[in-house]
Amino acid sequence: MTVTSSLTRRIILSVLLLEFLAAFVLIGTITIHERRIQFEAFDANLRAGANALLGAVQEAATSDGSVLLDLRGLNLPPRATFSVAVDGGHVLGTRGSLPTVDLKPDTSKHLALDGRSYGFYKLEGERIIDPGRANAVDHQVTVIYGLPEGRAWHSVFEATRYFSLATLAFLGITAALLTWIIRRFLHPIRELANAAENIDVQRWTFDAPPSSRQFLELRPLSFAIEKTISRLQRSFEQQRRFTSDAAHELKTDLAVIKSSFQLLGMRKRTVEEYEDGIRAGLNDISRMETSVLRMLTLARLEQAPMDEHQVSNLTEIIEEAVGQSRPLAELRQCSIVHTPHAGALLVSLSKEDAFLLCSNLLVNALQHSRGGAVEVQTQRTGARMVLGVRDHGEGIAEEDLPHLFDAFYRGDASRNRERGGTGLGLSICKAICDRSGGTITIANHPDGGAVVNVELPCRRPIE
Amino acid sequence: MRVLLVEDEVRLAENLTSGLREAGFAVDHAANGLDGSHYAEQDLYDLIVLDLMLPGRDGKTLLRLLRQKGIHTPVLVLTAQEGKTWIIDLLNAGADDYLAKPFDLGELIARSKALIRRSAGVSSPELRAGDLTIDTVQRTVTRNGQVIDLSPTEYRILECLAHRPKIVVSKKELLEHLYDYDWEHHSNVIEAHMSNLRRKLISPTGESIIETLRHRGYRIRSGGSK
Repeated sequence: MTVTSSLTRRIILSVLLLEFLAAFVLIGTITIHERRIQFEAFDANLRAGANALLGAVQEAATSDGSVLLDLRGLNLPPRATFSVAVDGGHVLGTRGSLPTVDLKPDTSKHLALDGRSYGFYKLEGERIIDPGRANAVDHQVTVIYGLPEGRAWHSVFEATRYFSLATLAFLGITAALLTWIIRRFLHPIRELANAAENIDVQRWTFDAPPSSRQFLELRPLSFAIEKTISRLQRSFEQQRRFTSDAAHELKTDLAVIKSSFQLLGMRKRTVEEYEDGIRAGLNDISRMETSVLRMLTLARLEQAPMDEHQVSNLTEIIEEAVGQSRPLAELRQCSIVHTPHAGALLVSLSKEDAFLLCSNLLVNALQHSRGGAVEVQTQRTGARMVLGVRDHGEGIAEEDLPHLFDAFYRGDASRNRERGGTGLGLSICKAICDRSGGTITIANHPDGGAVVNVELPCRRPIE
Repeated sequence: MRVLLVEDEVRLAENLTSGLREAGFAVDHAANGLDGSHYAEQDLYDLIVLDLMLPGRDGKTLLRLLRQKGIHTPVLVLTAQEGKTWIIDLLNAGADDYLAKPFDLGELIARSKALIRRSAGVSSPELRAGDLTIDTVQRTVTRNGQVIDLSPTEYRILECLAHRPKIVVSKKELLEHLYDYDWEHHSNVIEAHMSNLRRKLISPTGESIIETLRHRGYRIRSGGSK
């Protein structure tokens, strides 16, 4: 069972899949990029916050050089956590929870705290009270400042979401456009199919639509259809002609038989007249029988497959056919000149077909001879053999030459049915030659008469 | 009545010739188109039976040439071809009727008779000459229901004249329509038949229906035929 699938759908799906993969990679890249930017900004925020806290360490109202943290005017984000310590332990101020691990100074660190991810920054700086004076006090200030990362992550997520939605919309639009474009592009194929559909037995013309010739991909298809159609038409016409000619022959034969017996029944006749009439009628019937048998032979040769294993020795068969044609030769006052081939000539034909070929050629030559000799020659050249049969008759009219192998064709001069037989002899010879991969040609000999040449592939004798 | 048969199939031609002769026609046979043309152009025939597939010159060409030369002999075509277009083509080329092979010999003869009498302007198979009724199917002559016994030749002479009522038919013309080329005929033979015929056809009033016009020919007596 074949599953039908749509070419359009396949193309669209492939393109969309590729687009989707590209979009996936793109969104990934964008996400990474966005994350980097967001976290650079986040780190800058941390540093800025830490610096602001450092800046908020003020001289205390006491004049002992101590410091305190003054958070006024400092606008810290609500979730920010910090601790500010001076001189290794004295905590000036703290808010929120802080990491227990040690932080390296001047670096940011990202940690999970209370189930949230935080970024921390440790800043170590100096706060000099009354600098430039003799009693200047130098404080070592350590600021740890932390911010939740949620906001940065949110921005990254938002950017990713935006690009994903844009990509989805883009994929949808592409799919619709692709469908339309591919439909348009495939239109010539549909036109071609319509043109091909119009062909039937009554109308053999195939008008390739102009579009199918325009496109490089369709041109071979269109040419192939054209060629196939003309080949089919030729063989169909041949078959039709054969059927019509066969019908014509059979009807004529029937007309003869029917009129023979109707003539006999026209009035009362003597016994002798009836006997003669029946004899004539029977002769007419046997002639029709011959016609029918020959038609059937031709049909068999043209239709049945060839049996590769059949081999016959043409040297023997020619001799047999020559022997059998002697009475006809005597009747036509001809002689048959035949020099048998020295060895066996093995051809891929059944004995019956090989004999039919040889005897048909001989009978044909004898029928066209008036006295003189019919020469039969065989020759072997490599893997092929040639059988030539030449008569010394009147030769063949130029206009008959192309039609001699057509079924029922009788050259005008020989059309007389009494002499020409059924007009199937040469067609049968050609069918036999075609079957075994050989050729048959007929031509006028320069010195008068006609010569038929049969070329057949020759098998190597099995030692 | 004289028929030209143009047919290349030897056995068919033999049978048709015999059949037509037995039906009372004189028959000439041409075995190819060229001979057929040559015969037909002499304009001697009452009917041409023409096969289509002929060597030399095919039937349709022969027919067309014949009509071009102004010869109006009725033509019955014999064909083994199938298809209506063929028949239409043929009738347009000047054929009067056709029969498809294999045909019936009886039908061929009946159609031949019909074509001949229609070309003489008669539609009924019964001819009337004076008080005589000629049945061209049974080939009998009756006067007031009484059958007059005529020999085949006498009948053919009468039929030939009855087809040309009131017209003087010369002896030559009569001979041409009665006998084909195979017939060994002498002009005085026809005179003998004619005198027998005249004697057999003498009416109760003592007049023969056939008039002899010296040096001109014969004629069915005027007022006799319809």
